[in-house]
Amino acid sequence: MSYPQFTDDFKQDKKLLFRTKLWVTIIHLVFVSVLILMGCAKKKEKIIVWSSMRPVERAVLDSLLKEFSTSYPQFEFSQLFYAPEEARTNFIISALAGKGPALIHGASDNIGPFVELGVIRPMEDLFSKNYLNTFIEKPIPAKTYFRGHLYQIADRVGNHLCLVYNKKLVPTPPKTMSELIEMGKKLTVDENGDGKPDRYAIAWNYTEPFFFIPFITGYGGWIFDKNYHPTLNTEATRKAAQLIYDLVNKYKIMPKECDYEIANALFKDGLTAMIINGPWSWGTYLKNKIPIGIARIPKIDETGLWPAPLVSPMGYSMNVNLRGKKLEITKELLKFLTSKQAVLRYTRVSGTIPSVKAAFKDSLVQNNPLIKASLDQVMVGRPMPVVTEMRWIFDAMRPAYQGIFTGQVTPEQAVKQMQKLAEKLIKENRE
Amino acid sequence: MASSVRKLSGIEKIIAYSILTAFSLFAIYPILVVFSISLRPGDRLLSKSLAIIPPDFTFQSYVDLFTQQPFLRWMFNSLVVSLSVTIFAVSLAATAGYAFSRFKFKGRDASMMALITTQMFPVTMLLLPLFIIMIGLGFYDSYWGLIIAYSATALPFTVWQMKGYYDTIPYSMEEAATIDGASQFTTFYKIILPLALPALAITSLFSFMTAWSEYLVAAVLIQDKDLFTLPLGLKMFSSNMEVAWGLYSAGAIVVSIPVVILFLSLSRWLISGLTLGSVKA
Amino acid sequence: MSGYFFSRKNRLVYLYVMPAMLVMALIVLWPFVYNVVISFSDMNLTHFKNWKIIGLRNYVAVLSDTNFWYFFFKTILWTVLNLIFHVGIGVMLALIINEDIKAKSFFRTLLILPWAVPQYITALTWRGMFNSEYGAVNLLLDHLFGLQVPWLSTEWGAFTACLITNIWLGFPFMMIIALGGLQSIPKSLYEAAEIDGASRWQQFKDITVPLLKPVMVPAITLGVIWTFNNFNVVWLVSNGGEPSDKTHILVSWVYKAGFTYFRMGYAAAFSMIIFAILLVFGWRFIKHTKATENVYS
Repeated sequence: MSYPQFTDDFKQDKKLLFRTKLWVTIIHLVFVSVLILMGCAKKKEKIIVWSSMRPVERAVLDSLLKEFSTSYPQFEFSQLFYAPEEARTNFIISALAGKGPALIHGASDNIGPFVELGVIRPMEDLFSKNYLNTFIEKPIPAKTYFRGHLYQIADRVGNHLCLVYNKKLVPTPPKTMSELIEMGKKLTVDENGDGKPDRYAIAWNYTEPFFFIPFITGYGGWIFDKNYHPTLNTEATRKAAQLIYDLVNKYKIMPKECDYEIANALFKDGLTAMIINGPWSWGTYLKNKIPIGIARIPKIDETGLWPAPLVSPMGYSMNVNLRGKKLEITKELLKFLTSKQAVLRYTRVSGTIPSVKAAFKDSLVQNNPLIKASLDQVMVGRPMPVVTEMRWIFDAMRPAYQGIFTGQVTPEQAVKQMQKLAEKLIKENRE
Repeated sequence: MASSVRKLSGIEKIIAYSILTAFSLFAIYPILVVFSISLRPGDRLLSKSLAIIPPDFTFQSYVDLFTQQPFLRWMFNSLVVSLSVTIFAVSLAATAGYAFSRFKFKGRDASMMALITTQMFPVTMLLLPLFIIMIGLGFYDSYWGLIIAYSATALPFTVWQMKGYYDTIPYSMEEAATIDGASQFTTFYKIILPLALPALAITSLFSFMTAWSEYLVAAVLIQDKDLFTLPLGLKMFSSNMEVAWGLYSAGAIVVSIPVVILFLSLSRWLISGLTLGSVKA
Repeated sequence: MSGYFFSRKNRLVYLYVMPAMLVMALIVLWPFVYNVVISFSDMNLTHFKNWKIIGLRNYVAVLSDTNFWYFFFKTILWTVLNLIFHVGIGVMLALIINEDIKAKSFFRTLLILPWAVPQYITALTWRGMFNSEYGAVNLLLDHLFGLQVPWLSTEWGAFTACLITNIWLGFPFMMIIALGGLQSIPKSLYEAAEIDGASRWQQFKDITVPLLKPVMVPAITLGVIWTFNNFNVVWLVSNGGEPSDKTHILVSWVYKAGFTYFRMGYAAAFSMIIFAILLVFGWRFIKHTKATENVYS
């Protein structure tokens, strides 16, 4: 290879380099101006709703938004989906930076952190008393207040755990724990005789505090007192932990290592007769053609109490950054999305329990067996606490509670540890 | 180009092939599992049966992926961003790496260290301030925000890698060219760069991958549905504790295909066969 | 010989290097400074917008927590073991493939797949495979050796599970780097050594290793840093630290403090400490391997 003869190396280099850079800069400028122009082309203001709803429900939200948008042609309405954790984190980041969606739809336990971080606005003075009275107060209030202000208006009430049973394997669900254990012994079979059960009576995400709390209430206990100080170190908690432990190790009707996905997989494959799970999961069981029935989580024999799962209203909160016309329209949108007709549409497609008093009396709610059973469970449920402490309590419970199943601690030691850690976390996070 | 001149003996061949096969099985098994999840109806992540092709297999997830989801839109966005990042990062690295390799200038060692140190900070802590600065610069909800952020992430490795590779090319190459009368830039462009093709292949692949599979930063910077990249899109298949495993795994398989294609096309650069053997050290 | 290039016009050099440095500065410097400031503050849920400087209290809190030291130890173990296997397996495979092997392309493509498929789902698939009753790993072990290991329900079982998953994810990368690096080694050197009667091992030691070094060192350095800070795999395989919040490395612990509890001041101080640790390591490692020097000088 031979090279052309250059007279002055450096000048030539510089020219070539300069020319290359010039072209690169020109291309970049063109690119940027195109993008800016594209940005300018969007004249309409956007009103966005974030939700964590399932696909069928999102379709309903889409059509509701479309219906609403006909009244306000100068605005663009759309919805965006995020999984609950992402929705929470992204909303906080966006709102803190002055942006974010107009409305966010989610469970009520987000309210505590949202309010403390100052990313949602109080709503009680935006709506008339008449409107606010259309919502249910019992069994669970649809309007969520925190520190004296209204922060969320729900379009459904739910998110509660129920006993879900496979009708083919369990014709009638057990009503008490002792019935469950009796049935369980018959349902846990070892078909191929290798010493390990091939089918279990029941399986669920029992190592997760959310799935454990109902049993604490079944023994008459609760996670904190009225000042939100944790009350985990109690007989009730200990007994509840002992019960779950016994189901796995004494009565052997549950698998040893069982998380959410395992339990789901077993139930879908017909390898467990029952599962404890919430309304978000029923759709996928139906999709897998499992003939499911819903019932209350079985009563605790000793106390005669029904375990109370945590029930959460799911609804809309408003972004603190809303102003002027946008605020006005968002207000109207919220009213529209929580009207009787809107709320019942969700009930029709995915069996959610409506938040509006008038809708409650509708035949849709009264006649559908799954919804009826779901409502039955809600009747003995407890509202999910909205305070931020809730999250810390879950996190404080988890390590010690899981330690019971790995054999590291006894239930008695575990509840002591839970209490200690809960107090520590609350102190650390509040100082 | 072999790492030794001797051919493999019979027994060495057996060992070599067994090791390769063993690791290939190790590498591919979990991916076959993902593939089988995508063929199962009913979103079943786990199954008691170990069969790769489930008895009731269906391609419905793949069909749904393309017809019911804006998958192609996501793929387009990801392609735009990833290709831009690749071109951007590789060209910057190719030149900067060369400078770091050949020249001793004030601040050289410091700059190199600085590049590495940018990787040391846990990403999660940078998200909130990054978001604020992106809004301030107007790069929020645009391709540019991602391109810049990803290039910044890819640069330390790409620059260092190019530099390291240039380091293995002896000066005698440039000297021979200069003696022939070539300018500095031409030497770089026509002689050194072709010799560094393997490194260019690696850095291109790496930059592409960085942009193609990144989730955290994209989740914060992009909130316009039409601009969603593939990782953001795939994440939409998971809701409150329930994940649409069928769609998710089908998506994962399809998403890997462009990477494999890119790898195959860059492979011939990787095994460049360009020999430095013509220069006796 | 080398002075020729070293004495040239520096301005050109800066032109080469400037764009890269500017971009980095923009994206990284401001968030970093932000974190430095926050680390001295009491920013948490209670005072998020109205935080104030409280000095070194966060740093003291981090360093006096026994968990910190325990997870620090675990993180080092995690990093060292991962890198040993990544590099060991990667280089070994690269050497083998580089020989006169049939179906090179086929093997190469299969071996790169762990890197190509999105991490989120492969990590969760591995998690499923480690389930003690239904997972593929135990089914295989049971079949071959009659063993059943309680992976995810024990502390070190979970750690090993994360380790194996990350090794699976990481060796292709090192293999590719090594493959590329092997191309730059002139065949003539091997020929000469062959004539001199050097054994394969000697050739490997004296030719392959030193000439592979400049290419592997950047990858290893960054590999150490990335693995140290690899939050995803540990989080996904252990489902957020299970059992009992024991399966953590430093970064997943920070994530919990920052994003689950919003203890931003504490998390920022924590991150600064992680940063300082890596900085010290990086500095010493680079000086030791003289990675900024040219191999032929």
